[in-house]
Amino acid sequence: MPTEKLLSEHFSNPEARKVAWYRSHGGYEGALKALGEMQPQEVVDEVINSNLRGLGGAGFPTGRKWSFVPHDTGKPIYLAVNADESEPGTFKDRYLLEWDPHRLLEGIIICAYAVGIHTAYIYIRGEYVRPAEILQKAIEEAYQEGILGKSVLGKDFSLDVHLHRGAGAYICGEETGLLESLEGKKGWPRLKPPFPAIVGLFGSPTVINNVETLSHLPKIMVNGSQWFSRIGCERNGGTRLFALSGSVKKPGVYELPLGTSLHTLIYQHGGGILNDKALKAVIPGGASAAVLTQEESDIQLDFDSCIKAKSMLGSGAVIVMDEDICMVKAAHNIMRFFAHESCGQCTPCRKGTAWVYRILDRIVEGEGTLDDIGYLLEISDSMSGTSICALCDGAAMSFRSYVQKFTAEFEYHIRHGKCDIN
Amino acid sequence: MPIITIDQREVQVEPGSTVMQAAEELGVHIPRYCYHPGLSTAGSCRMCLVEIEKMPKLAISCHTQVQEGMQVHTLSEQVARARRTMLEFLLIDHPLDCPVCDQAGECDLQNYYMEIGQHESRFLEDKPKSKKASVIGPHVILDQERCILCTRCTRFCKEISKTDELGVFNRGNQSVIDLFPGRLLDNPYSGNVIDICPVGALTEREFRFQCRVWYLRQQNSICTGCSRGCNISLHHNASRPHKAGGKRVQRLKPRFNPEVNQWWICDEGRFGYEFIDQNRIEHPHRRVNGELETAGWDPVLEEITTSLETALKTFGSQSIGVITSPQLSNETLHLIRKLFGELMGIEQIGHHNPWEREGFHDDFLIRADKNPNRRGAQAMGFDYDSQSLLEKAASGEIKVLYIFQHDFKEDEAAALLEQADYVIFQGSNWTRTADFSNVVLPSATHSEEEGTFTNFEGRIQHFEQAFLPLSDSKSGVEIMALLAERLHHEWPYTDPEKAFMDWLGKPYNELNDFGELIEIAPDNIE
Amino acid sequence: MSAKFEFDPENLERFQEILGRYPKKRAAMLPTLHLAHHQLGLISPEVEQYVAQLLEVPLVDVHEVLTFYTLFFRRPMGRHHIRLCMSISCWIRGAGQIKDSLARTMGVPSGEITPDGNFSWEAVPDCLGACEMAPMMQLDKDYHGNLTPNELEHILTDVSGNDSSPDPETLRNAQPQRDTSTTDQPNE
Repeated sequence: MPTEKLLSEHFSNPEARKVAWYRSHGGYEGALKALGEMQPQEVVDEVINSNLRGLGGAGFPTGRKWSFVPHDTGKPIYLAVNADESEPGTFKDRYLLEWDPHRLLEGIIICAYAVGIHTAYIYIRGEYVRPAEILQKAIEEAYQEGILGKSVLGKDFSLDVHLHRGAGAYICGEETGLLESLEGKKGWPRLKPPFPAIVGLFGSPTVINNVETLSHLPKIMVNGSQWFSRIGCERNGGTRLFALSGSVKKPGVYELPLGTSLHTLIYQHGGGILNDKALKAVIPGGASAAVLTQEESDIQLDFDSCIKAKSMLGSGAVIVMDEDICMVKAAHNIMRFFAHESCGQCTPCRKGTAWVYRILDRIVEGEGTLDDIGYLLEISDSMSGTSICALCDGAAMSFRSYVQKFTAEFEYHIRHGKCDIN
Repeated sequence: MPIITIDQREVQVEPGSTVMQAAEELGVHIPRYCYHPGLSTAGSCRMCLVEIEKMPKLAISCHTQVQEGMQVHTLSEQVARARRTMLEFLLIDHPLDCPVCDQAGECDLQNYYMEIGQHESRFLEDKPKSKKASVIGPHVILDQERCILCTRCTRFCKEISKTDELGVFNRGNQSVIDLFPGRLLDNPYSGNVIDICPVGALTEREFRFQCRVWYLRQQNSICTGCSRGCNISLHHNASRPHKAGGKRVQRLKPRFNPEVNQWWICDEGRFGYEFIDQNRIEHPHRRVNGELETAGWDPVLEEITTSLETALKTFGSQSIGVITSPQLSNETLHLIRKLFGELMGIEQIGHHNPWEREGFHDDFLIRADKNPNRRGAQAMGFDYDSQSLLEKAASGEIKVLYIFQHDFKEDEAAALLEQADYVIFQGSNWTRTADFSNVVLPSATHSEEEGTFTNFEGRIQHFEQAFLPLSDSKSGVEIMALLAERLHHEWPYTDPEKAFMDWLGKPYNELNDFGELIEIAPDNIE
Repeated sequence: MSAKFEFDPENLERFQEILGRYPKKRAAMLPTLHLAHHQLGLISPEVEQYVAQLLEVPLVDVHEVLTFYTLFFRRPMGRHHIRLCMSISCWIRGAGQIKDSLARTMGVPSGEITPDGNFSWEAVPDCLGACEMAPMMQLDKDYHGNLTPNELEHILTDVSGNDSSPDPETLRNAQPQRDTSTTDQPNE
């Protein structure tokens, strides 16, 4: 099944990191078109019409997000690029950062021009040292070539782009946690409203877009919104990078149109289940998403279909689990992550994640009680819709799905003090 | 102004108000931990969640602004459930050591738990151990196990004292409130974190294990530590006098006054109450063979009135000098003016201590003038120079010098007093001045009488009597009445309110709750 | 603990450049801490005081930041530091066994330094973002994936044997950018 590669065409080609190569292969054409031929509002409209959605996880329509930004505050407008890729199972932005840094920079220019932004910060997770080095080099090159700076691509538009490294905190991928971190604080998410579009970085209106989202912009500018929206499915324009991992033969990043079937991804692109085992479960959108059983797994990979399946497409991280994976331990693993990464600010998340982890720990250690199953479900309810940010909701959605869909395994674990899997 | 409905009751509030504020207008108390009206909004405890129609999920009432037509429910099952579960969350790691916790009885974990808590524990895990009973400053003890991370204390240190000692360290459930290693919580306002801590995480060193809070009675009072006149509650132990060695005052707490001190007081004021129960003059004294000896009120008053009358008759009013004090209530001062000024015709009445220097002050609450009623004393017109009164007494020009409350510690003062013919001292505590006096009258402290002070800006503020004057001491108002009687003057001022009425022409209950600013003194103050 | 800290001239210059990127000094917090971490190998209380002074922020704020994030060492670590990813995808692919063999090889518990000072290690619950090469670990700056106990052994031997020229074979699973020359510190 031939798929047009909008984002991944340069993956595995080290030459593509160089500005000269990128330019000689159509690079910065989209930015030139936007800056040279279009009014900022036309760029915004084009992106709205493309049905491009935020590919960091929330799936919010990108153009609409931009249109919330007020232009009459007298304050500068900032762009914060979310490169804090940390959702377990997600590694697609790392590929973009490593292989195609100029595509991201070009996307940044287009967004900045559309919204009237002159300073952008790329917030990259601290562990991505090598990707940061590559990106830093690309930024320096772009300045040398007049692509960034006082006169972007020779036009009457200035833009500074700064790389800002995180230091190990999942929560900084949350929009306002990111802003706090960027301002030099611990990454405690902010109360909303006000939303970052109105009061964001340094108190100014701020656009926060994911690396992958921005990387789509150059081609949307060149080929037009219609071309892009036709690639995906209804209200889900274009392709996205699916990060496939877990019990599959060929884990990796696969670029596919939104709406592609999950089974196509796993069996066709991923080569099927590792060691030809049976598929037991799959997470369609990172650890925060509800796990789908094998029976539930025949769905389309787009934002709306995943919500219909009571899960979410999230960051596009597809994690496959075969028949040998213990679901109690999988939930335990995931809750260790959330308990470790909860920022600690609000009660339901700080206490809920820690409590659930301890209960699961007890069950894994063979000390569970049958009451625990009911407790877990109730705690999940208590954690849902009560916290400051979505981490808590994600954690609650996640562990609930394991307990609910694999109750028998939990019961076995509790009764026998061990897995019902060898 | 938007009108919203809370639990089927309409309320109209200022635009920009929060749902919690609107609820308060209706007298609906929404449980909260992190919210404090004097601090920025944290919105993190999630205790104040309410149901608002057309909103997809519960909203925190401390941060959600009212909108016209909003329908709010604070009593729905969904809200009750959220409160119950937040409380359960907060209690899972809590040590439940209420029997040894000073906060017991005024703890919002206890209070809300009794009201709405889930009473059967489902928590089977081990409770984590962390720092307990750690002394973090001259006045404050930290117990991290009891902390619910509401961050009121850290916000206080950032926003109010602006000293930034406390912070939240680590992440997730490992998060703790603490100081930078090696630092102390030692700022002039540190005690306030004890008040605003809704649980037993920050408690008072001085009060530690002194008294269960349910034994305490409270009286509205005014801090006497400086001329700010911070509003306080005086907590005293009426029913357990055997505790704390007979010390009656157990602690002072700030009392809200938006015009004076908001929710706060300084440590100097908070902990400066020892004088009420220590080093008190408990009985009248008179000098016999050069030594001050205890005596009854009658003989001492007799001696005083005789000396005053003799001086008046023999040498005229110029032979009597009075040094009142900026620590006396307006009522006592007014009666001094009445008796000594108007009825006896004495003109030489001063009030200040010439040796007194400016104390520590800042740009928040603490004033350099450490007297609670300077402005009141000035308003009475007691502007005769005290130094020259002392000098005149030393030179014999003044035969009788009546000194109220002052402690003239300096050798220079002592030398002058030593040469004086006859000195009457009336005060609450033993001072060097008392030691040089011929007679000593024990007067009540402000906690033992009712009255008013006028603060530095001219605000008249009322304080209540907390308990009876210690031993034989009497209130200033009572002593003036006794003197007036012996001096054969008509004297209707038998209680403070009558004195106040005579002075300002209205009863106490016509004073505003937050005190009353009146034009009573020139601007040459401080 | 240690003596007074300050940036060496080169880092001081970098610090000045970093400051220029932000409208508020405080925003330079993470880059400044990274820079100090790079110079000293850890963030000591003295570094915190220095950073607080440079950025004109309260000391307690620096400490809040320092203790919130996981990448800053607050005590000395090995010459090489290993973060073994224990997150879901790596766990599915056997990170547990790799952890056991890493613990055996290291001979010291997670968070400790080997007696020769060469290594320290930790098994981290957060995903390092390289699940396609699960199970994987980060050794200093670099990712090493598709780990097996044998593979692990090789990598460790090579890195401790010769720091300056890593054996290309051991790096075959590592990141695609390896072929480019890289500067020492990308952003500090």
